[in-house]
Amino acid sequence: MSTENLSLKKLVPHSDAPWMSSIGRFVALIFVMILMTFLTRSPDQGFVFLNIDNLLNVVRNASILIIIGIGETIVLTAKDVDLSIGSIISLTGVVAAIMMNKMGLSIPVAILSGLIIGALLGLVNGLLITFVGLPPFIATYGMLWVLFGFAYLILQGAVVYGFPEAFRFMGNGRLFGIPMPIIVMAIVFVAAYLLLNHTTLGRRFFAAGANPEAAKMSGIKVNQTVIIAYVISGFLSALAGLVLIAYSNGADNIFGSSYLLPVMAVVVMGGTSLAGGQGSLTGTLIAALIMATINNGMNILAVPGTWQKLVVGTMIIGAVLLDLWIRKRK
Amino acid sequence: MKSKTSSFLLKVPSAAWVILLMMIVCTVFSDKYLTLGNIVNIIQQNAVLLIVALGATLVLLSEGIDLSLGSVLTLSGVNCVIVMLYLSKLGASNGLAMILGVLAGLLTGALMGALTGGLIAIGKLPPFIASLGTMGIGAALALVFTDSSAIYIDNPVYVFFGQKLDRFIHLSLLQYFSMPTFIAIVIFAIVWVILYHTSFGRYIIAIGGNEAGARLSGINTVYWKWMIYVLAGVLAAIGGIVLAARLQAADSSVGVGMEFDAIAAAILGGTSFVKGKGGIAGTILGVLVIGITRNGLNVVGIPSLWRPAITGSIIILAIVFEVVYSQWRERSK
Repeated sequence: MSTENLSLKKLVPHSDAPWMSSIGRFVALIFVMILMTFLTRSPDQGFVFLNIDNLLNVVRNASILIIIGIGETIVLTAKDVDLSIGSIISLTGVVAAIMMNKMGLSIPVAILSGLIIGALLGLVNGLLITFVGLPPFIATYGMLWVLFGFAYLILQGAVVYGFPEAFRFMGNGRLFGIPMPIIVMAIVFVAAYLLLNHTTLGRRFFAAGANPEAAKMSGIKVNQTVIIAYVISGFLSALAGLVLIAYSNGADNIFGSSYLLPVMAVVVMGGTSLAGGQGSLTGTLIAALIMATINNGMNILAVPGTWQKLVVGTMIIGAVLLDLWIRKRK
Repeated sequence: MKSKTSSFLLKVPSAAWVILLMMIVCTVFSDKYLTLGNIVNIIQQNAVLLIVALGATLVLLSEGIDLSLGSVLTLSGVNCVIVMLYLSKLGASNGLAMILGVLAGLLTGALMGALTGGLIAIGKLPPFIASLGTMGIGAALALVFTDSSAIYIDNPVYVFFGQKLDRFIHLSLLQYFSMPTFIAIVIFAIVWVILYHTSFGRYIIAIGGNEAGARLSGINTVYWKWMIYVLAGVLAAIGGIVLAARLQAADSSVGVGMEFDAIAAAILGGTSFVKGKGGIAGTILGVLVIGITRNGLNVVGIPSLWRPAITGSIIILAIVFEVVYSQWRERSK
C-alpha cells in the first residue's frame, strides 16, 4: 500500500490544477457578473441581476451543471470521455418518476433505484470501453441514443408529471433559505474534492490519465480505475436527473439531452485537460457559475433559446482553443 | 493445418453474419419480408445514410471522428431549401433556383466541414470535442433559420432528386430505381476513385496509418486532414439535399442522431478507429445492417414504442460483435 502511494506521487504531475489559474477563472466570473449586471439593468426595475432571488437562481442552475460536471471531470481526468450523460439523466429520472407515479413505490425506493441504475449504466460504459475495447466516444455516444430509446419505451411515448411533495423538496425545497439543489451540489462537491485530491483512488485517476502505460507498470489497475470513473459519472448524472425532475415536476424522454454541450463546455472551461491526467473540480465549479450567469443574463434579455444554443456551441470551441493557447504559451 | 472452409469463414465480414441472421429471423416472422418490393424499399430508404456514412468512413480512416455530420446534413438541407424558395419568390425559374439552392447547400456543408476540420487539423483540437462544438453550432443555426419548424418545398425540378425514376421515364425496370439510390451509387463511385486512385486517398490512409510517418515523408498532413473533414461535410450536405428533396421539406431536426448511424455503419463495415484499417466497400454492408434492422422491426410489426430502444441495442451489440470478431480474426491469422 505504501509503495503504491509512493510511486503514485511520482507519476502524478499535478493534482488539482494550481490555485493561480482558479483565481484567473474567478476574476473572469466576477467580470461576467459585472457585465451581466449592467447589461440587464432596466430603467424601472434597476439591477435585475443582483436581486438575491435571481442570484440564488443562477447558483441553483449552476448546481445541476456542477453535479454532472464533477462526474465528467473525473472521467476526463482518467483520459476518457462520457458523452452519455444526457441520456443517463433522462433515463434515471424517467425510471424514478414511473416508480413513484405509476408503480406506487415509495420515494426512497424510487430515488435509490434511480441512483443504482445510473451507476450500473456507468458500469456498462466502463465495461464496453475496457473489456470490449471500444473507443470511449463511440461507446458512450452509442449508449446516448440507446438510452433515449429506452426512456421513450418506459414512458410509453408520453410524459410523466406531478410528483409527491416530499420528493419535490429535493428540487424546489429550501433548507435555511438555501435551495436544495445548491445543498446537494455542495455535499457532492466536498465529497468529490476529498476523493480526488486526498485519497489513493483519486490519485489513481490522475495517474491513469497522465500515463496509462506507466501507471500499469507501477501496479495500478488502470481498467478498474476507468470503470470506477464511469460509475461515478453515471451515479452523479442520475442524481442530477432526480434533482431536475423534482424541480421541474415533469419528465419526458429527452429532458437531459440539452446538458451534454453545456457540461462539456463547463468542464473544459474549468481547465480539465482533454489529454487526461489533469482535472480541476474548483475550475469546473467556477466555470459552471460563469455559464449559468451568461445563461441567466440571456434569459433576462429575452435572447431566443436557439441563439442561446449557438452561444453554448461556440463557447465549447472557444474554451478549448483558449486552453490550448494558454498551454502553448507556458 | 487449417481447413479451407475455416479460412473462408474468417474472410466473411462480421456485418454479413449480422445481415444473414436478421434476414433469417425476419423471414421467419413475416412473409412480407423477403419480397422484391421490400428489398428495393430498404435500399431506397438507406441511400442517404450511405452517402453520409461514406464521409464518416473517410474521417474514421484518418483516425478522426466527426459528430457534427447529422447537424451539417440538417443545416445544408435547410439552407438549400431556403435559398431555393427565396429565389423563386424573386421570380427565378425552377431550374435556376434549384441549381443555386443546391450550390448553397453544398457550400454550407463545405464551410461547416472546413470549420470542424480547421479546428482539428490546424487548431489541434481533439476531434470529438471540436465536432461536438460544431454539432451544437450547426443544430442551433438550423433552428434559427427555420424558426424551429419545417419548411415545405414544391419546386418540381428539385423534388425530382427524391423520387422514383419511373415517374418520368416509362420503363418497367426503372420502378426499382429511385433518384436517391442512383445518386448514392454515383457518389460511391466518386468516393471510391478519390480514395483508391488519387493522391488525396493515399494521404487519407497514410495519415490514419501513421500520421508522424506521413508528415516525415513530405505529406502536408495539416492541409489534407483539413480537406478530409471538408469532403465529409460536402457528403453530409449531399445527403441533406437529397433527403429534403425526398421529404419535400427541410426540417430542423431531420438529421438528429444521423451521425451515430453513419459512424456505426462505418465501424460495422470493418473500418477500424485505429491504424486506418478498413474501406468504403464494407460501409455498404454496415449501412445494410442498420437499414435491415430498421426495416425488419417495422415489417415484423414491432410496436413503434419499442423500435428506438431495440434498434439502438442491436447496433451496439453488432459493434461489440464486430470488434470482438476482428480481434479474434487477428489472433487466428
